[in-house]
Amino acid sequence: MKSSLKNMVLVLFTIGGVSALLVGLVHNITKDAIAQAEEQKKNKAKFEVLSTTESEAVILEDATRKIGDFEVKVSTVASRATNEIIGYAVEAPSITANGYSDRIYLMVGFVETDGEVRINSVEVLSQKETPGLGANMTKPGNKLENSVLGKNPATMTFKVKKDDPRGSFDALSGSTISSRAYANAMETAYAGYLWAKGVIVAKDNDATAEELVEESVVVEEESMGEEMEDNMGSATQKGEVGHE
Amino acid sequence: MSKMQLITKGILKENPTFVLILGMCPTIGVTSSAINGMGMGVATMAVLIMSNVVISLIKNLIPSKVRIPAYIVVIASFVTIIEMLMKAYVPSLYEALGVFIPLIVVNCIILGRAEAFASKNNALDSALDGVGIGLGFTLSLTVVGMVREALGSGSFFGMPFAEDVMPLVFILAPGGFIALGYLMVLFNKISKR
Repeated sequence: MKSSLKNMVLVLFTIGGVSALLVGLVHNITKDAIAQAEEQKKNKAKFEVLSTTESEAVILEDATRKIGDFEVKVSTVASRATNEIIGYAVEAPSITANGYSDRIYLMVGFVETDGEVRINSVEVLSQKETPGLGANMTKPGNKLENSVLGKNPATMTFKVKKDDPRGSFDALSGSTISSRAYANAMETAYAGYLWAKGVIVAKDNDATAEELVEESVVVEEESMGEEMEDNMGSATQKGEVGHE
Repeated sequence: MSKMQLITKGILKENPTFVLILGMCPTIGVTSSAINGMGMGVATMAVLIMSNVVISLIKNLIPSKVRIPAYIVVIASFVTIIEMLMKAYVPSLYEALGVFIPLIVVNCIILGRAEAFASKNNALDSALDGVGIGLGFTLSLTVVGMVREALGSGSFFGMPFAEDVMPLVFILAPGGFIALGYLMVLFNKISKR
Protein backbone atom coordinates (compact mmCIF):
# COMPACT_ATOMS: atom_id res chain seq x y z
CA MET A 1 0.00 0.00 0.00
CA LYS A 2 1.26 3.47 -0.80
CA SER A 3 2.21 5.54 2.24
CA SER A 4 0.81 8.93 2.96
CA LEU A 5 1.06 10.79 6.25
CA LYS A 6 -2.64 10.29 6.84
CA ASN A 7 -2.74 6.51 6.38
CA MET A 8 0.56 5.93 8.23
CA VAL A 9 -0.69 7.76 11.31
CA LEU A 10 -4.07 6.14 11.06
CA VAL A 11 -2.76 2.58 10.68
CA LEU A 12 -0.13 2.83 13.42
CA PHE A 13 -2.65 4.44 15.74
CA THR A 14 -5.23 1.74 15.05
CA ILE A 15 -2.77 -1.13 15.44
CA GLY A 16 -1.42 0.34 18.67
CA GLY A 17 -4.90 0.92 20.03
CA VAL A 18 -6.26 -2.50 19.10
CA SER A 19 -3.17 -4.26 20.49
CA ALA A 20 -3.32 -2.34 23.76
CA LEU A 21 -7.01 -3.08 24.07
CA LEU A 22 -6.50 -6.80 23.44
CA VAL A 23 -3.57 -7.10 25.86
CA GLY A 24 -5.53 -5.24 28.53
CA LEU A 25 -8.57 -7.39 27.95
CA VAL A 26 -6.64 -10.64 28.19
CA HIS A 27 -4.83 -9.35 31.28
CA ASN A 28 -8.16 -8.68 32.96
CA ILE A 29 -9.51 -12.11 32.05
CA THR A 30 -6.41 -13.99 33.13
CA LYS A 31 -5.10 -12.12 36.17
CA ASP A 32 -7.25 -13.99 38.69
CA ALA A 33 -6.41 -17.32 37.11
CA ILE A 34 -2.68 -16.45 37.14
CA ALA A 35 -2.74 -15.46 40.80
CA GLN A 36 -4.67 -18.62 41.58
CA ALA A 37 -2.21 -20.81 39.67
CA GLU A 38 0.73 -19.27 41.56
CA GLU A 39 -1.02 -19.65 44.90
CA GLN A 40 -1.79 -23.26 44.05
CA LYS A 41 1.82 -23.96 43.14
CA LYS A 42 2.98 -22.51 46.45
CA ASN A 43 0.34 -24.42 48.35
CA LYS A 44 1.32 -27.67 46.69
CA ALA A 45 4.96 -27.00 47.56
CA LYS A 46 4.02 -26.61 51.23
CA PHE A 47 2.84 -30.20 51.31
CA GLU A 48 5.50 -31.58 48.99
CA VAL A 49 8.42 -30.34 51.08
CA LEU A 50 6.97 -32.31 53.98
CA SER A 51 6.49 -35.44 51.83
CA THR A 52 2.73 -35.34 52.14
CA THR A 53 -0.23 -34.29 50.01
CA GLU A 54 -3.19 -32.00 50.40
CA SER A 55 -5.51 -34.99 50.81
CA GLU A 56 -3.52 -36.37 53.74
CA ALA A 57 -2.60 -33.20 55.56
CA VAL A 58 -4.00 -29.83 56.46
CA ILE A 59 -2.45 -26.45 57.23
CA LEU A 60 -3.09 -25.64 60.88
CA GLU A 61 -1.65 -22.18 60.90
CA ASP A 62 -0.09 -19.66 58.53
CA ALA A 63 2.16 -17.08 60.13
CA THR A 64 4.21 -14.28 58.61
CA ARG A 65 7.25 -12.70 60.17
CA LYS A 66 9.01 -9.68 58.78
CA ILE A 67 12.79 -9.56 58.64
CA GLY A 68 13.56 -6.05 57.50
CA ASP A 69 11.47 -5.57 54.36
CA PHE A 70 11.18 -9.27 53.68
CA GLU A 71 8.54 -11.74 54.68
CA VAL A 72 9.14 -15.21 55.99
CA LYS A 73 6.00 -17.33 55.93
CA VAL A 74 5.69 -20.36 58.16
CA SER A 75 2.90 -22.88 57.68
CA THR A 76 2.29 -25.50 60.32
CA VAL A 77 1.14 -28.68 58.61
CA ALA A 78 -0.67 -31.45 60.47
CA SER A 79 -1.92 -34.86 59.46
CA ARG A 80 -5.64 -35.04 58.71
CA ALA A 81 -5.98 -38.49 60.24
CA THR A 82 -4.20 -38.08 63.58
CA ASN A 83 -4.13 -34.30 63.88
CA GLU A 84 -0.44 -34.55 64.77
CA ILE A 85 1.94 -31.91 63.47
CA ILE A 86 3.93 -33.30 60.56
CA GLY A 87 6.26 -30.38 60.24
CA TYR A 88 6.73 -26.79 59.20
CA ALA A 89 6.91 -25.46 55.66
CA VAL A 90 8.82 -22.20 55.54
CA GLU A 91 8.88 -19.86 52.54
CA ALA A 92 11.94 -17.64 52.70
CA PRO A 93 13.91 -15.30 50.44
CA SER A 94 17.65 -14.80 50.30
CA ILE A 95 18.22 -11.52 52.11
CA THR A 96 21.86 -10.55 52.57
CA ALA A 97 23.30 -12.63 49.73
CA ASN A 98 21.57 -12.12 46.41
CA GLY A 99 21.54 -14.54 43.53
CA TYR A 100 23.25 -13.74 40.25
CA SER A 101 20.30 -11.75 38.97
CA ASP A 102 17.54 -11.85 41.56
CA ARG A 103 16.57 -13.03 45.02
CA ILE A 104 16.03 -16.71 45.50
CA TYR A 105 12.88 -17.93 47.18
CA LEU A 106 12.93 -21.33 48.84
CA MET A 107 10.24 -23.47 50.41
CA VAL A 108 11.88 -25.58 53.09
CA GLY A 109 10.23 -28.40 55.02
CA PHE A 110 11.34 -28.87 58.63
CA VAL A 111 10.35 -32.12 60.32
CA GLU A 112 10.94 -33.04 63.95
CA THR A 113 11.86 -36.59 64.83
CA ASP A 114 12.91 -37.64 68.35
CA GLY A 115 13.19 -34.04 69.43
CA GLU A 116 15.62 -33.23 66.63
CA VAL A 117 14.75 -31.06 63.69
CA ARG A 118 15.68 -32.16 60.18
CA ILE A 119 15.41 -30.60 56.75
CA ASN A 120 13.03 -32.91 54.97
CA SER A 121 13.01 -31.38 51.52
CA VAL A 122 13.63 -28.12 49.67
CA GLU A 123 11.87 -26.60 46.71
CA VAL A 124 13.11 -23.54 44.82
CA LEU A 125 10.05 -21.33 44.38
CA SER A 126 11.66 -18.69 42.21
CA GLN A 127 15.10 -18.01 40.80
CA LYS A 128 16.53 -16.27 37.74
CA GLU A 129 20.00 -17.81 37.75
CA THR A 130 22.02 -18.73 34.65
CA PRO A 131 20.57 -21.78 32.89
CA GLY A 132 23.05 -24.64 33.05
CA LEU A 133 24.90 -23.15 36.03
CA GLY A 134 23.05 -21.53 38.94
CA ALA A 135 19.68 -22.71 37.67
CA ASN A 136 20.83 -26.26 38.38
CA MET A 137 19.70 -25.62 41.95
CA THR A 138 16.20 -26.56 40.82
CA LYS A 139 17.31 -29.99 39.64
CA PRO A 140 16.66 -32.87 42.03
CA GLY A 141 19.81 -34.25 43.63
CA ASN A 142 22.00 -31.20 42.99
CA LYS A 143 24.94 -30.50 45.27
CA LEU A 144 23.22 -27.75 47.25
CA GLU A 145 20.17 -29.87 47.93
CA ASN A 146 22.36 -32.83 48.84
CA SER A 147 24.27 -30.75 51.37
CA VAL A 148 21.11 -30.00 53.37
CA LEU A 149 18.70 -32.92 52.98
CA GLY A 150 18.22 -34.87 56.19
CA LYS A 151 20.61 -32.62 58.09
CA ASN A 152 19.90 -30.96 61.41
CA PRO A 153 20.01 -27.19 60.70
CA ALA A 154 21.18 -26.48 64.26
CA THR A 155 24.49 -28.19 63.44
CA MET A 156 24.90 -26.43 60.10
CA THR A 157 26.97 -23.38 59.22
CA PHE A 158 25.10 -21.41 56.58
CA LYS A 159 28.13 -20.69 54.44
CA VAL A 160 29.52 -22.06 51.22
CA LYS A 161 32.56 -24.29 51.82
CA LYS A 162 34.67 -22.13 49.53
CA ASP A 163 34.12 -19.06 51.75
CA ASP A 164 34.32 -20.76 55.12
CA PRO A 165 35.94 -24.14 55.76
CA ARG A 166 33.25 -24.93 58.35
CA GLY A 167 30.46 -24.13 55.86
CA SER A 168 27.91 -26.86 55.22
CA PHE A 169 27.14 -26.07 51.58
CA ASP A 170 28.90 -27.59 48.59
CA ALA A 171 28.69 -24.91 45.90
CA LEU A 172 27.31 -25.75 42.47
CA SER A 173 30.24 -25.84 40.08
CA GLY A 174 30.77 -22.42 38.54
CA SER A 175 28.02 -20.76 40.59
CA THR A 176 29.38 -19.63 43.94
CA ILE A 177 27.17 -16.53 43.98
CA SER A 178 23.99 -18.53 43.42
CA SER A 179 25.12 -21.00 46.08
CA ARG A 180 25.70 -18.21 48.61
CA ALA A 181 22.18 -16.92 48.00
CA TYR A 182 20.81 -20.45 48.45
CA ALA A 183 22.65 -20.84 51.76
CA ASN A 184 21.35 -17.46 52.86
CA ALA A 185 17.75 -18.29 51.96
CA MET A 186 18.15 -21.54 53.88
CA GLU A 187 19.36 -19.60 56.92
CA THR A 188 16.38 -17.26 56.63
CA ALA A 189 14.07 -20.26 56.49
CA TYR A 190 15.67 -21.74 59.60
CA ALA A 191 15.28 -18.42 61.40
CA GLY A 192 11.60 -18.48 60.41
CA TYR A 193 11.23 -21.98 61.82
CA LEU A 194 12.95 -21.03 65.08
CA TRP A 195 10.71 -18.01 65.37
CA ALA A 196 7.57 -20.12 64.79
CA LYS A 197 8.72 -22.56 67.48
CA GLY A 198 9.20 -19.69 69.92
CA VAL A 199 12.90 -20.47 70.31
CA ILE A 200 13.77 -16.93 69.35
CA VAL A 201 11.61 -14.14 70.61
CA ALA A 202 10.23 -11.63 68.16
CA LYS A 203 12.03 -8.69 69.71
CA ASP A 204 12.55 -6.50 66.68
CA ASN A 205 11.88 -6.75 63.00
CA ASP A 206 15.24 -5.39 61.93
CA ALA A 207 17.35 -8.36 63.02
CA THR A 208 18.97 -10.22 60.15
CA ALA A 209 18.62 -13.95 59.71
CA GLU A 210 22.21 -14.45 60.94
CA GLU A 211 21.46 -12.56 64.12
CA LEU A 212 18.32 -14.59 64.70
CA VAL A 213 20.08 -17.91 64.23
CA GLU A 214 22.97 -16.74 66.43
CA GLU A 215 20.44 -15.72 69.05
CA SER A 216 18.97 -19.20 69.00
CA VAL A 217 22.39 -20.72 69.62
CA VAL A 218 22.78 -18.46 72.63
CA VAL A 219 19.36 -19.44 73.96
CA GLU A 220 20.26 -23.11 73.69
CA GLU A 221 23.53 -22.52 75.49
CA GLU A 222 21.69 -20.71 78.25
CA SER A 223 19.26 -23.52 78.81
CA MET A 224 22.14 -26.00 78.85
CA GLY A 225 23.87 -23.80 81.37
CA GLU A 226 20.90 -23.98 83.66
CA GLU A 227 21.06 -27.75 83.59
CA MET A 228 24.79 -27.82 84.31
CA GLU A 229 25.02 -25.58 87.30
CA ASP A 230 28.84 -25.55 87.31
CA ASN A 231 29.01 -23.85 83.97
CA MET A 232 26.24 -21.43 84.68
CA GLY A 233 28.47 -18.40 85.10
CA SER A 234 30.31 -18.71 81.84
CA ALA A 235 27.17 -19.59 79.92
CA THR A 236 25.34 -16.50 81.09
CA GLN A 237 28.35 -14.47 80.18
CA LYS A 238 28.21 -15.81 76.68
CA GLY A 239 24.52 -15.08 76.60
CA GLU A 240 25.12 -11.48 77.52
CA VAL A 241 27.74 -11.12 74.84
CA GLY A 242 25.35 -12.53 72.31
CA HIS A 243 22.57 -10.16 73.20
CA GLU A 244 24.62 -7.04 72.82
CA MET B 1 7.71 -23.57 -4.88
CA SER B 2 5.81 -26.66 -3.79
CA LYS B 3 4.26 -26.88 -0.34
CA MET B 4 6.74 -29.54 0.73
CA GLN B 5 9.67 -27.40 -0.34
CA LEU B 6 8.37 -24.57 1.83
CA ILE B 7 8.83 -26.79 4.86
CA THR B 8 12.13 -28.47 3.97
CA LYS B 9 13.90 -25.29 2.91
CA GLY B 10 13.79 -24.05 6.47
CA ILE B 11 15.65 -27.10 7.68
CA LEU B 12 18.55 -27.09 5.19
CA LYS B 13 18.74 -24.38 2.54
CA GLU B 14 17.50 -21.55 4.74
CA ASN B 15 18.31 -22.91 8.18
CA PRO B 16 17.84 -19.86 10.42
CA THR B 17 20.76 -20.57 12.74
CA PHE B 18 23.41 -22.04 10.46
CA VAL B 19 22.65 -20.35 7.13
CA LEU B 20 20.58 -17.20 7.69
CA ILE B 21 22.38 -16.54 11.01
CA LEU B 22 19.23 -15.07 12.51
CA GLY B 23 18.24 -15.11 16.17
CA MET B 24 21.76 -15.41 17.56
CA CYS B 25 20.79 -13.88 20.90
CA PRO B 26 18.42 -16.67 21.98
CA THR B 27 20.68 -19.21 20.32
CA ILE B 28 23.64 -18.36 22.53
CA GLY B 29 21.46 -17.58 25.53
CA VAL B 30 19.37 -20.69 25.90
CA THR B 31 21.35 -23.52 24.33
CA SER B 32 23.25 -24.33 27.51
CA SER B 33 21.39 -27.64 27.49
CA ALA B 34 19.65 -29.65 24.79
CA ILE B 35 16.25 -29.53 26.43
CA ASN B 36 16.41 -25.73 26.78
CA GLY B 37 17.28 -25.40 23.10
CA MET B 38 14.39 -27.62 22.16
CA GLY B 39 11.95 -25.67 24.37
CA MET B 40 13.00 -22.38 22.85
CA GLY B 41 12.69 -23.85 19.35
CA VAL B 42 9.20 -25.19 19.93
CA ALA B 43 7.98 -21.96 21.52
CA THR B 44 9.45 -19.92 18.67
CA MET B 45 7.85 -22.19 16.09
CA ALA B 46 4.41 -21.74 17.65
CA VAL B 47 4.73 -17.95 17.67
CA LEU B 48 6.29 -17.88 14.19
CA ILE B 49 3.46 -19.81 12.56
CA MET B 50 0.80 -17.63 14.15
CA SER B 51 2.57 -14.32 13.53
CA ASN B 52 3.24 -15.26 9.89
CA VAL B 53 -0.44 -15.96 9.36
CA VAL B 54 -1.55 -12.73 11.03
CA ILE B 55 0.99 -10.62 9.15
CA SER B 56 0.09 -12.12 5.79
CA LEU B 57 -3.58 -11.43 6.49
CA ILE B 58 -3.09 -7.77 7.35
CA LYS B 59 -0.26 -7.07 4.89
CA ASN B 60 -2.48 -5.18 2.47
CA LEU B 61 -3.71 -2.79 5.16
CA ILE B 62 -0.30 -1.54 6.22
CA PRO B 63 1.45 1.36 4.43
CA SER B 64 4.91 0.12 3.44
CA LYS B 65 6.84 2.91 5.19
CA VAL B 66 5.54 1.97 8.65
CA ARG B 67 5.37 -1.79 8.16
CA ILE B 68 8.24 -2.66 10.54
CA PRO B 69 6.84 -0.86 13.61
CA ALA B 70 3.42 -2.23 12.79
CA TYR B 71 4.81 -5.80 12.66
CA ILE B 72 6.67 -5.35 15.93
CA VAL B 73 3.57 -4.13 17.76
CA VAL B 74 1.49 -6.98 16.37
CA ILE B 75 4.07 -9.62 17.28
CA ALA B 76 4.78 -8.22 20.75
CA SER B 77 1.15 -8.00 21.79
CA PHE B 78 0.57 -11.41 20.31
CA VAL B 79 3.37 -12.96 22.37
CA THR B 80 2.25 -11.15 25.53
CA ILE B 81 -1.26 -12.53 25.11
CA ILE B 82 0.06 -16.07 24.59
CA GLU B 83 2.23 -15.73 27.69
CA MET B 84 -0.67 -14.59 29.87
CA LEU B 85 -2.98 -17.32 28.58
CA MET B 86 -0.33 -19.98 29.15
CA LYS B 87 0.39 -18.74 32.68
CA ALA B 88 -3.30 -18.80 33.54
CA TYR B 89 -4.59 -21.99 31.98
CA VAL B 90 -1.62 -24.32 31.36
CA PRO B 91 0.80 -23.49 34.18
CA SER B 92 2.71 -26.74 33.66
CA LEU B 93 3.51 -25.83 30.05
CA TYR B 94 4.40 -22.33 31.19
CA GLU B 95 6.80 -23.82 33.72
CA ALA B 96 8.65 -25.60 30.90
CA LEU B 97 8.58 -22.92 28.20
CA GLY B 98 7.71 -19.73 30.11
CA VAL B 99 11.22 -18.33 30.39
CA PHE B 100 11.59 -18.38 26.60
CA ILE B 101 8.37 -16.59 25.74
CA PRO B 102 9.46 -12.98 26.44
CA LEU B 103 12.70 -13.69 24.55
CA ILE B 104 10.73 -14.52 21.43
CA VAL B 105 9.45 -10.95 21.10
CA VAL B 106 12.95 -9.72 20.37
CA ASN B 107 13.81 -12.71 18.19
CA CYS B 108 14.66 -11.36 14.76
CA ILE B 109 13.62 -14.60 13.07
CA ILE B 110 9.99 -13.68 13.66
CA LEU B 111 10.43 -10.19 12.24
CA GLY B 112 12.72 -11.47 9.50
CA ARG B 113 10.16 -13.97 8.25
CA ALA B 114 7.36 -11.40 8.52
CA GLU B 115 9.37 -9.03 6.33
CA ALA B 116 10.90 -11.53 3.91
CA PHE B 117 8.06 -13.98 3.44
CA ALA B 118 4.72 -13.32 5.11
CA SER B 119 4.40 -9.81 3.72
CA LYS B 120 4.60 -11.17 0.17
CA ASN B 121 2.72 -14.49 0.36
CA ASN B 122 -0.70 -15.81 1.29
CA ALA B 123 -1.69 -17.13 4.70
CA LEU B 124 -1.28 -20.85 3.96
CA ASP B 125 2.20 -20.50 2.48
CA SER B 126 3.19 -18.25 5.36
CA ALA B 127 2.04 -20.84 7.87
CA LEU B 128 4.06 -23.54 6.08
CA ASP B 129 7.07 -21.26 6.01
CA GLY B 130 6.62 -20.82 9.76
CA VAL B 131 6.57 -24.60 10.21
CA GLY B 132 9.73 -25.03 8.12
CA ILE B 133 11.76 -22.25 9.69
CA GLY B 134 10.48 -23.25 13.14
CA LEU B 135 11.55 -26.86 12.61
CA GLY B 136 14.95 -25.75 11.35
CA PHE B 137 15.40 -23.47 14.36
CA THR B 138 14.30 -26.20 16.78
CA LEU B 139 16.64 -28.78 15.26
CA SER B 140 19.67 -26.51 15.16
CA LEU B 141 19.10 -25.22 18.71
CA THR B 142 18.77 -28.78 19.95
CA VAL B 143 22.01 -29.79 18.22
CA VAL B 144 23.92 -26.79 19.58
CA GLY B 145 22.44 -27.47 23.01
CA MET B 146 23.42 -31.14 22.86
CA VAL B 147 27.02 -30.31 21.99
CA ARG B 148 27.35 -27.61 24.64
CA GLU B 149 25.68 -29.73 27.30
CA ALA B 150 27.86 -32.75 26.49
CA LEU B 151 31.08 -30.72 26.56
CA GLY B 152 30.17 -28.37 29.40
CA SER B 153 28.26 -30.44 31.93
CA GLY B 154 28.88 -33.97 30.68
CA SER B 155 25.26 -34.97 30.22
CA PHE B 156 22.85 -35.88 27.44
CA PHE B 157 19.34 -34.36 27.76
CA GLY B 158 19.90 -34.03 31.49
CA MET B 159 21.25 -37.57 31.97
CA PRO B 160 24.84 -37.32 33.21
CA PHE B 161 27.48 -39.54 31.60
CA ALA B 162 30.66 -37.97 32.95
CA GLU B 163 31.88 -36.44 36.22
CA ASP B 164 31.98 -32.66 36.48
CA VAL B 165 35.53 -32.11 35.35
CA MET B 166 34.21 -30.76 32.07
CA PRO B 167 35.23 -27.39 30.55
CA LEU B 168 32.63 -25.10 32.08
CA VAL B 169 33.22 -22.47 29.41
CA PHE B 170 30.90 -24.35 27.05
CA ILE B 171 27.94 -23.57 29.30
CA LEU B 172 28.82 -19.87 29.25
CA ALA B 173 28.40 -17.51 26.31
CA PRO B 174 31.99 -17.68 24.95
CA GLY B 175 31.77 -21.46 24.68
CA GLY B 176 28.43 -21.01 22.97
CA PHE B 177 30.08 -19.01 20.21
CA ILE B 178 32.89 -21.55 19.87
CA ALA B 179 30.50 -24.49 19.61
CA LEU B 180 28.21 -22.59 17.25
CA GLY B 181 31.11 -21.61 14.98
CA TYR B 182 32.37 -25.15 14.57
CA LEU B 183 28.87 -26.51 14.04
CA MET B 184 28.28 -23.85 11.37
CA VAL B 185 31.41 -24.95 9.52
CA LEU B 186 30.35 -28.56 9.74
CA PHE B 187 26.79 -27.81 8.62
CA ASN B 188 27.85 -25.75 5.62
CA LYS B 189 30.49 -28.30 4.62
CA ILE B 190 27.88 -31.07 4.60
CA SER B 191 25.01 -29.13 3.02
CA LYS B 192 27.11 -27.52 0.25
CA ARG B 193 28.18 -30.89 -1.11
